[in-house]
Amino acid sequence: MKRVNRSLKEFGTALPFVLPGLLLVSVFILYPMLFTIRISLSDYKIVTGDIDFIGLLNFKNVFASGSKFWFALRNNVLYAIVTIPFIIFGGMLFAYLVNNLKHGQSLFRVGFYLPVITSWVIVALVFQYMFNNSNRGLINYLLVDVFKVMDDYVPWLLREWSGNAAIWIMGIWKNVGWAMLIFLAGLQGISKDLYEAAALDGAGIFKRFIHITMPSLRPVTYYVMVNMIIGSFNVFIQVLMLTSGNPNGRTSTLQYLLYDRAFNQYNFGEASAIGLISAVIILVVTLTLNHRMNRNADDTEETA
Amino acid sequence: MMKRNMKKSDAALQVLIWVLLIGALFVFSVPFLYMITNSFEEFSFVLPYPPKLFPTKLQWSAYEHILSMKIFPTAVKNSIINTSITVVLAVFISSLSAYGFAKIKFPGRELLFNIYLFTLMMPGFLNIIPQFIVLRSMKMPGFANGLVGTRPGLILIYVATNVCGHTFFLRSFFRGLSRSLSESVLIDGGGHGAIFFKIMLPLSKPAIGTMAIFAFQGFWEEYFTAKVLVGANEKMITLPLLLQRLNGEHATRWEWVFAASILALIPVVILFVVSQKKMVVGGLTQGSVKG
Repeated sequence: MKRVNRSLKEFGTALPFVLPGLLLVSVFILYPMLFTIRISLSDYKIVTGDIDFIGLLNFKNVFASGSKFWFALRNNVLYAIVTIPFIIFGGMLFAYLVNNLKHGQSLFRVGFYLPVITSWVIVALVFQYMFNNSNRGLINYLLVDVFKVMDDYVPWLLREWSGNAAIWIMGIWKNVGWAMLIFLAGLQGISKDLYEAAALDGAGIFKRFIHITMPSLRPVTYYVMVNMIIGSFNVFIQVLMLTSGNPNGRTSTLQYLLYDRAFNQYNFGEASAIGLISAVIILVVTLTLNHRMNRNADDTEETA
Repeated sequence: MMKRNMKKSDAALQVLIWVLLIGALFVFSVPFLYMITNSFEEFSFVLPYPPKLFPTKLQWSAYEHILSMKIFPTAVKNSIINTSITVVLAVFISSLSAYGFAKIKFPGRELLFNIYLFTLMMPGFLNIIPQFIVLRSMKMPGFANGLVGTRPGLILIYVATNVCGHTFFLRSFFRGLSRSLSESVLIDGGGHGAIFFKIMLPLSKPAIGTMAIFAFQGFWEEYFTAKVLVGANEKMITLPLLLQRLNGEHATRWEWVFAASILALIPVVILFVVSQKKMVVGGLTQGSVKG
């Protein structure tokens, strides 16, 4: 009895602090998550509110052969594989160079970070323009008219691989600055002695980068990587504004497909099914990475 | 002698780094240069050829056009109001929660915190359909669609979607703060409320400020949720929605689109330039993934 009383009292103390957040999370996050599961199992009509149970039919339709789902999933995975190495290596290199500057660090911190704080909508508008399919777009102009690498103007955003490439380039450009900022923070934690010892041994700036900086930044790198992998499954505005998934879903992604199913075709059942499937994928990927990361962190602690 | 050589090679190295970084920065700036240059152009139906990267004239007519649009002040006002209310509420509610999780033991704490963590891994857009339905079911007198299409509705969703992340970040920060200070308050007869307001909040200003700035940037540019929840209500239009609309309606008037983009970009750039030296980014990575 006493124990129950104490628990109640503890609860009472914590309640004023935790309750406002808990209410919001329950009503607008947790309940919707459960509701998504229900919609995914039904034929839901948003206007009338009818919600008829139809079992796994939505999932079956999503997975059906010829469904755009597989292209979308492929594109999410490709986006991660192509962009993340550039983002991580670029971010790390910029951070290292900026950190070694005696003057003008702020210029580059702000300069490389500008794409990050620029809204996706704005960025997408500029990229639409740069990848314009005539000689009026900067990319075609440079490749065909100036450097003469190609003979013909490419309708970038209308084709499968050039459209995907534009989406990738935009993703890299937008995220390198974020990685740089995180790596810059991580660099503050590396002891100066290590660098000085290496400098005495005659290691130049790039040798030091490879042998000291890169290994020391391993935990931060994992952090950046996990964030970027989750981000890769959230690719949406690029697709909406650059290609609309064309041609025929070949540049689509899971989130764009969800949006298209829900808000263009009003098929909320299949949209929710797509959402749940991508949630499971993200969860598995994150947990696997976290598991590996924790093991990694333990290893470094032991050896340190 | 040796020292002087070291200094010389040091200076050479600095120059090399500068050259490398300036080159990279130039490439990174191309989209911005393009945007700025073309906001000074005036083209009705054809894009200029050859494409230009640097402005050859300062012609402000596109800016004048945007500033004279009736809907522009509405969008600015909505973006400012939505963003500031959201940031204040999200940060305050999350710091309260974070304090609860960090400093008060209560039954079910670990379970609840793990649930919060779990929601962080879920893609945010997953919830948009049921969130829409929940808002619609919140009937208010005078609103046919419940809270759909209203400012309170949008802000509620914005705040809710950020509580878990903010709580997570601030909890680890609060945990790192020394216990002796709060104990002295307890001895003086103060409760958790006193500790929270008199010790935790003041001590966490840098962390909370950094978080607030990131949150501001995120909400300022938020497009998807706003499009779904208030996209149909002209009066609730935000800057990102306006940009997208300008693009859709006047696809041939790029200078308008770019001028509006630059105007929308100015506040976040100023905010970042002013605050970047004080930001504590390190905290964002500490144990954030390790749960």
